[in-house]
Amino acid sequence: MLKLNTRFMAGASVVAAVLLMAGCTQNSAEPKETKVAAKATIDGGVAYPVVNDKMGPYYVNPQVAAVAPKINNGRIPTANELKAWDKDIQAGGKGLPEGSGSVEEGEELYEAKCVMCHGDFGSGGGGYPALSKGNAYELQKTLTNNRWHDPEADGPTRVFGSYWPQASTLWWYIRDGMPHPKSKTLTDDEVYALTAYILNINEMEIDGEEIDDEFVLDREKFARIKMPNVDGFEPKIDGPDGLENVRNYYANPKNFGAIKVKPSERCMTGCQEETVEVVRIQGAGISDFMPPMSVVRDAPEEKKEEKIDPKEVYNNTCAMCHSGYLSPGSAEWKPFVAEGMETVYKKAIEGTPNGMPAKGGTDLSDANFKLVVDYVVNGK
Amino acid sequence: MDNKKSQNDNTIDRREFFRKTAAASVAAVAGTSVLSSDAMADDPAIMHHVPWGQKWGDPVTKNRYGMPSKYEHNVTRRNTKLLASGNFQASIAVTPIHESMGIITPNGLFFSRSHGGVAHVDPNMYRLMIHGLVEKPIVLTLEELKRYPSVTRTHFIECPANGGQEWRGPQYNSIQFAKGFMSCAEWTGVYVKDILADLGLKPEAKWMLTEGSDNSEMGRTVPIDKVLDDAMIVWGQNGEALRPEQGYPVRLLLPGWEGNLCVKWLKRLEFSDEPWYCKEETSKYTALKPTGKAIQHFYANEVNSTVTSPSPEIDWSNLKDGDIVEIEGLAWSGMGTITGVDLSFDGGKTYVEAKLKGLVLPKCWTRWSYIHTYKKGEKLLLTSRAMDDAGYIQPTIDQEVSVMGVESVYHRNAVETWEVTETGKVNHVQMRTPGGVKNA
Repeated sequence: MLKLNTRFMAGASVVAAVLLMAGCTQNSAEPKETKVAAKATIDGGVAYPVVNDKMGPYYVNPQVAAVAPKINNGRIPTANELKAWDKDIQAGGKGLPEGSGSVEEGEELYEAKCVMCHGDFGSGGGGYPALSKGNAYELQKTLTNNRWHDPEADGPTRVFGSYWPQASTLWWYIRDGMPHPKSKTLTDDEVYALTAYILNINEMEIDGEEIDDEFVLDREKFARIKMPNVDGFEPKIDGPDGLENVRNYYANPKNFGAIKVKPSERCMTGCQEETVEVVRIQGAGISDFMPPMSVVRDAPEEKKEEKIDPKEVYNNTCAMCHSGYLSPGSAEWKPFVAEGMETVYKKAIEGTPNGMPAKGGTDLSDANFKLVVDYVVNGK
Repeated sequence: MDNKKSQNDNTIDRREFFRKTAAASVAAVAGTSVLSSDAMADDPAIMHHVPWGQKWGDPVTKNRYGMPSKYEHNVTRRNTKLLASGNFQASIAVTPIHESMGIITPNGLFFSRSHGGVAHVDPNMYRLMIHGLVEKPIVLTLEELKRYPSVTRTHFIECPANGGQEWRGPQYNSIQFAKGFMSCAEWTGVYVKDILADLGLKPEAKWMLTEGSDNSEMGRTVPIDKVLDDAMIVWGQNGEALRPEQGYPVRLLLPGWEGNLCVKWLKRLEFSDEPWYCKEETSKYTALKPTGKAIQHFYANEVNSTVTSPSPEIDWSNLKDGDIVEIEGLAWSGMGTITGVDLSFDGGKTYVEAKLKGLVLPKCWTRWSYIHTYKKGEKLLLTSRAMDDAGYIQPTIDQEVSVMGVESVYHRNAVETWEVTETGKVNHVQMRTPGGVKNA
């Protein structure tokens, strides 16, 4: 068998040279080089300009381009409407409102509204993202860890402190997306406080100043946050050359693991390394599919709503949060049950400000959801 | 290729058709065939009246919106806890592509990924705001948006994590989960550039923020190049309104690009001279390389393909020796149009050329086919490899991993292999050098 020395991604010319050296057989069919005089696009692909009223294979109505500048649909938004919706935060805190919050206040909020999903000190849990795994500056160094040679090795740690390039992302997402079941319910001061707390648990500094319990974050201090991995991303998108950087990056297939080759020069024999083996799924693999995989064409079972299995609902829906805290049969339920089961049912069905979504996000009937509540409270 | 010529080449006249089929029939009678089946028991499905043939069916007034046959109940999207970020609001349900036909995914089976649950938007309260570095900012109602001259295009949408759980080895013995983070539909909407023609884009505008109105306020940054090329704002999906799972009533569509960039429940487009740093373009959807640097703004889903028949789900265990069977698959590229697909029976060591079939459209699922005569007990390693008109070809796993490492999560497009065992069962395997090829 022919040996191809193509260990690195190669541009078209290199691939072609290797193929010729190796005497790789050429494709016998007619070459299918593109005939479209398509121009290169920012993503490394091709664009299909409109030619003779056709864009690629599609006909277009040429009248549209002529009248488009005159189509005067919609209306100009009012100043207040713009203010209401134009609230994004850009790098360096551009767009941040006035406000402030301390690490201490953030911790209190975190314990009340976040810990049930994100875990103690942001450690994650139940599949929810971790917010910290320790010192951000140390963990940033793990980003070169790659488990290709040794599957047992430590992988890279990608959490807010070690990975994210900008702190603005955190502030913006907490305000608009958190708490996940009841987003957009935090005040700006609360968002500052939670951001301060997350900086704290990532053991970060601002201009050499430690972010301790007393630390108060505000807009001015926010602008001085420098994330440990700010230079960890390519291509560079900031500044006047941002777009050009992106275009240049994707013009080179080597940057992103792609291969270009003329169709007539592609490999048809000896196209794998001699060291290649058939690698099979380890153990049972992943197969916890819902619903279970089946391609049978039979009449479906009539599933009546009354026949829910509370444990199954718990496993699929509630366990995400109710496994570490207020788990089935946990003693932590006592003070809640003391208020009466009707109150527990009501909170479960309507949801709570602290994160319990209405009916846990299910669409079960009240009666059925009470069975689920019974299971989660009593453990049976 | 010249369509007219190829059709003429393939035309056989009527007389020749009868001559050929007659010869085939004689050959069939001479051997064992369906015509010499006197020894077989009569089929009750033929010998008896069937229940649905002897009573009234449903009145046409039932199911005002039609539903699939109840016997198709296993053809559904599926999910797994592994792909839930804590809950099934921030999660994905994937398409049963082993059951897909042609190049269109029915709306009820289109893969569904959301970051804060599927929002249910009241179309009467729908507003789209376009502002920032434009001469004239605007607000549009749904009715006003749909008044623009429309375009209709067929494009796939793919999650860049399609196959992303399998950088370090195969995990799913299932095509639905190994390759089903994608679907393809015919979309109707308006080109963003046609709206901008009226608003007047300022020359310093380089980036566009696209923002959804859902619980996660899903946001992404789009470079102006794409906005002025083929970016669309769409409201139609396969001839009807978008499904809620696809962003009803309106989503952005960036043909060929990562699904998450095609923001659903679209609320706002803002133009700026500096990019944003949204959560889903920093914490996720960035591809970490062995250098420790991560690719951000990794837009296009690269050229890719898969064998859809056979698959781990629908295998060849029922085939008899000598059966003629069509090996079929899909190819797609977010960078252009599929120009060819090769098929390997030995795990990508040697290839033969497969045939494209049906419509071949830019940034769209493309069907391919290869006719195979099955030998009972044969062991095969079926690997497909696609090319596109931007000049790209799928890499081997070793080639892709040597640049990207195994921690990238996103944009894995190396060739993938199904193992056909002696009994006709099909398993997902990978052809790769254990531990990776040595990096110099």
